[in-house]
Amino acid sequence: MKRLVLPVLAALTASLVASPAAAKDKLTISVYSFAQDAYKEALYDPFEAICDCELVIETGNSVERMAKIEANAADPVIDMAVMSSHDALALARKGLLEKLDVSKLASFDELYEAAKDPVGDNMAVGYTFYASSIVYRSDLVDIKSWGDLLKPEVAGRVALPNITGTQGPLTLHMMSKALGHEGVGFEETIAAIGEKSDDIVTFYVRSSQLAQLMQQEEVIAAPIGRFAWSRFSGSDLPFKWAEPVEGQTGGMNVMLMTKGSKNQDLAYRFMDYWLSSEVQTRVANAKIDSPANTKVEVSADIADHLTYGADLINSLNMINPADIIDNRDSWIEQWNEKVIQ
Amino acid sequence: MFTAALFLVPVVILLSEGFKVGGEWSLAGYVDFASKPLNQKVFLRTLKLGFLVALTSAIIGYATAYCVVNLEPRHRGRIFGLIVLPLMISPVARTYAWIVILGRTGIVNQFITGTGLSDTPVRFLFTETAVFLGLLQLFMPLMIISLISSMENLPKDAIAAARVLGANWFQVFTRVILPLTKEGLVMGGTLVFTGSLTAYITPAILGGSKVLMLETLLYQRVNVANDYVSAGIIATILIVMCFGANLVLKRVAQGRSQS
Repeated sequence: MKRLVLPVLAALTASLVASPAAAKDKLTISVYSFAQDAYKEALYDPFEAICDCELVIETGNSVERMAKIEANAADPVIDMAVMSSHDALALARKGLLEKLDVSKLASFDELYEAAKDPVGDNMAVGYTFYASSIVYRSDLVDIKSWGDLLKPEVAGRVALPNITGTQGPLTLHMMSKALGHEGVGFEETIAAIGEKSDDIVTFYVRSSQLAQLMQQEEVIAAPIGRFAWSRFSGSDLPFKWAEPVEGQTGGMNVMLMTKGSKNQDLAYRFMDYWLSSEVQTRVANAKIDSPANTKVEVSADIADHLTYGADLINSLNMINPADIIDNRDSWIEQWNEKVIQ
Repeated sequence: MFTAALFLVPVVILLSEGFKVGGEWSLAGYVDFASKPLNQKVFLRTLKLGFLVALTSAIIGYATAYCVVNLEPRHRGRIFGLIVLPLMISPVARTYAWIVILGRTGIVNQFITGTGLSDTPVRFLFTETAVFLGLLQLFMPLMIISLISSMENLPKDAIAAARVLGANWFQVFTRVILPLTKEGLVMGGTLVFTGSLTAYITPAILGGSKVLMLETLLYQRVNVANDYVSAGIIATILIVMCFGANLVLKRVAQGRSQS
């Protein structure tokens, strides 16, 4: 019996001692809650399969995720995160981001120029673009300009994004162009919207909410991001994506690494994997995100759901992230005073 | 002790946020908050809608409760079940139903245009009317249940005696029913008023950012602006309003019974 017990005990002890050494490396990433099942299939699982590591996924809205990065600045609990370019800049200004060594990203040269250093000083790298324009009911109204959102034909049937969301400042940017106002203070544009406030059904926060309102004909025209277009394009109703004379606007989401991350090599590996044409193609074909890698090729059907192609991406009227950070409080204050009042 | 700490400590921490400006204890946050016209408007709107929902719930609640307690016992159970039923359905589902009902193509507008009351559909969504209806439907069952409970303890002959002695129905209500059911009214009024003040989903869905209320403003301050000072102030205001409503209702009830 003794002969049997001792080897078993020895084996158990060895396994217990050996287990910490066998533990996989962990990379904690902070991402949007959006399409996590699809990301798991297209990105997380394939990466775990090749890196012999474990991805810990943390999701939430931008404010929560930024607050967590800031609260744990001394001992980072997040290694890598994806944010909008202006949120990344806000973190960079607080000294919470690690400057990226882009030589460690093999796919870097394949990215669109705008994605290579979107917030400056290589603090982030863009991984997806999105165009924003106006979706409208082509049988009820014709939209040719961002200024048409305030014309009498759509009074009482138009929705605008709230200033607090990502689409809000983009809409103000393009409406300012249409109304002939210069600068990023948006004072005149906000005042013009304020004067027509009663003609605007709502200032929506989520595109899902807007989709329902447009389905039941409460709203017939509203600015949206291209990522939400599939909610409308599959409808029986004649929704159309506007191509206004002032052009389309848009934005970019970026990857960043937290300052003092303890898993930087793994983070670089993951970022490079995500930026590779292979993964960007897979993500694009799953209609999750539009590619920032110029080598990605997708079918016309898939491209219809995305912000795809150099011509479109290079033509987007994007707002400088610094302008958003510097003016956002003022915009919200003016909005609350002149529009919500 | 542990339970008290578990509940009180986070509340104290939250409320204290409103008194800290730049790490220093100060009332400047409250002064700044109160000076903004938008905040004033949102505060008054929240108070107004809470009051209107509680008042309307009480009026409909008394009529409903009176009818229910006078039903035969076998019918009473069924009707009571119907009153309680909405409470078992998610507030999100109930509120979303209003979007369909009050929409341009909803049944309310079909009725309005069909009967010729208006040539074009009336816009209800994202108005105070929509928020009022949503909150009323959400919380009225609580008032009805409270009043049914009180009315069941009302002496059966009290109303008949008052009528025999020459009281009209208004006098029966104000001199007999109201004093004898004041506890139910205080309980129901507190539940409905505080519920209306603190409900988030209904004002967010039916009012959106065009009909901001204190709770939707609080969400905006935390989740958009990361402004915990304003959030602490709004939370304090909401708590004070809830306790205040309870105290006022109790005072009114006491005053009535003394008179």
